Amino acid sequence: MTTILFSYKNLLRHKTRSFLTLVGITASIAVLYSIISFNKGFEAGLSKELERTGLHFMIVPSGCPHEVASLVLHGAVIPKYLDDTVSEKIRNFKDISLISPILVTQLPNQIHNKIDLVYGMEMSHLKNIKPQWNIKGSIPDNDEGLILGSEVFDHMKVKIGDTYSYGDKKFTITGVLEKTGSQDDAFIYIPITALQKMLNKEGKVTALGVKVLYPEKLTEIIEKLSNEIPGIQIVTMNQVMNSISSLASSAKILSLSVAIIALIISAVGVMNSILMTVFERTQEIGMMRAIGAGRNDIFKIIITETILLTTTGGLAGLIISNIGSGLIEDFVRKFMPYVPAGKILLFDYKIALFSLIFSIFVGVVSGLYPAYRASKVSPIEAIKG
Amino acid sequence: MIKLEKVEKIYQRGSERVRALKGIDLEIERGEFLSIVGPSGSGKTTLLHILGCLDTPTSGIVRLDGIDIETMPEKELVKIRREKIGYIFQQFYLIPGLTVYENVSLPLTFSRKERNRSEIENLIEMVGLKDRINHKPNQLSGGEMQRTAIARALVNNPEFILADEPTGNLDSENAEMIFELLKSLHNKGISIILITHNPDLAQRTERIIKLKDGIIESDQMV
Ligand SMILES: Nc1ncnc2c1ncn2[C@@H]1O[C@H](COP(=O)(O)OP(=O)(O)OP(=O)(O)O)[C@@H](O)[C@H]1O
Ligand SMILES: [Mg+2]
Repeated sequence: MTTILFSYKNLLRHKTRSFLTLVGITASIAVLYSIISFNKGFEAGLSKELERTGLHFMIVPSGCPHEVASLVLHGAVIPKYLDDTVSEKIRNFKDISLISPILVTQLPNQIHNKIDLVYGMEMSHLKNIKPQWNIKGSIPDNDEGLILGSEVFDHMKVKIGDTYSYGDKKFTITGVLEKTGSQDDAFIYIPITALQKMLNKEGKVTALGVKVLYPEKLTEIIEKLSNEIPGIQIVTMNQVMNSISSLASSAKILSLSVAIIALIISAVGVMNSILMTVFERTQEIGMMRAIGAGRNDIFKIIITETILLTTTGGLAGLIISNIGSGLIEDFVRKFMPYVPAGKILLFDYKIALFSLIFSIFVGVVSGLYPAYRASKVSPIEAIKG
Repeated sequence: MIKLEKVEKIYQRGSERVRALKGIDLEIERGEFLSIVGPSGSGKTTLLHILGCLDTPTSGIVRLDGIDIETMPEKELVKIRREKIGYIFQQFYLIPGLTVYENVSLPLTFSRKERNRSEIENLIEMVGLKDRINHKPNQLSGGEMQRTAIARALVNNPEFILADEPTGNLDSENAEMIFELLKSLHNKGISIILITHNPDLAQRTERIIKLKDGIIESDQMV
């Protein structure tokens, strides 16, 4: 009989105890795996999303770098505005291929008695700024149309072609943005000139998105712009990514710590459970020593028991977190202020392998002490006749 | 051959010192069938531990085929326990989760020896448990458990069988069966050292060593 089979049969002698210990390991490996793959998916999703915006940098009124990040990604309301003169000045620079004004605000929606998040934009630039969007219906070609984010659309019980009004201003719903999985789903998109008129903010914008002709000249252009135009701040997509990453990194560290603590607790659980069986089996271990088991044989049997437990738990944890990844993702999206569009939790064999190796490692560590104690049992323990 | 010279064993229990063996001189040849008797606490089990290389004396010399075991490394002692000695305990000590077959083959896991299935089945048949081969210990009677333990003790082809009151937990009928089994092993050339409280069984061995208070009171051939 092999040591593995023998250890496995030993674990079966205490089915409930082994099972409960297993549950702890399963849960903590599932959490660890999900957190690591989420973090990885988050980074990947973020850079993909930024790549797709099609803009090279944003110009905002000076003084609010962090808000820019949230503006770019899900439209924060910034109580400061740039005016047309800035965009006129920029237009005079060469090497600029596109300047797109953005005005983000909140509007009370009397009909549904709630506050709408509204994103004013140049509709003709839409394909350039948001190339990844799929729109059902059409993009408004005048100031009378608007587009609903999928979440808004689902909640409102309206259809394309319906009228949508703010006070006296009536719009026609020309299109619906198909679900992106990001915060874009929660917005209403209105032609910027119409929004400026409604707010009496003609010529005012929250930000200007800029696309250049030659990206390799980016630093040069940014330097020139910030030297010559006062009162503006230029934020590149790289900076946006970094500031989001740094916002997310504290959450990452926290979540990883929680996972590690959970794992430590369950490892202590494994150790405790096996140590208990070692104490209960003192005479049996003595007997095995008397019939020819060396200290190393006993050590191997016990540490195999903990490794079997944690590896089984690790495997189960991986299976569960992959099956449940949809649920986990929905759950996380509810709590994170920003999650990139698309599926974040994809099966990643490297992370899976890491988690599995880690669970074996946990088995070794939690088994060391019980195995050491067991190997110290003297053969004369058995014969207390 | 096992030879003890002036063997003493002192147990330290806290501040209390127990002199379990007080100078034992003893020689046991291959192929003997001997019994160790004596009142409770007289040192029978302690003596068996030392004969079986499970424990070392506090003073005195134990020679195995002439070699002082104190000069042997632990590894060598493990090998002797594994290959030359088979143990049988009063409480049987079968592993609950394992079948008769698995319990019997357990020592092979430690000795890293290969035995084919039919060899083990033959052993089990010899102790009369052929139809119990896939039973677990909780499905066996006391006598059947002890017969399983005997088959286990035999699986590595030992030269010595050490049995500490193997019939102590059994009724007279089962005790008789176990004793007959030991006797048949002796007839096959295996040395048997048997601790027993049963004077009738002791009388049926070839040599009786009577212990009292840690010394040999008498050592007689039957
Ligand atoms: N591990 C130990 N620590 C301390 N004292 C011990 C230990 N083992 C045995 N003794 C003591 O040594 C003496 C001899 O014990 P031993 O077990 O050899 O007696 P025994 O003849 O086998 O008795 P029994 O017939 O009851 O099994 C006893 O006084 C016992 O209490
Ligand atoms: Mg005894």
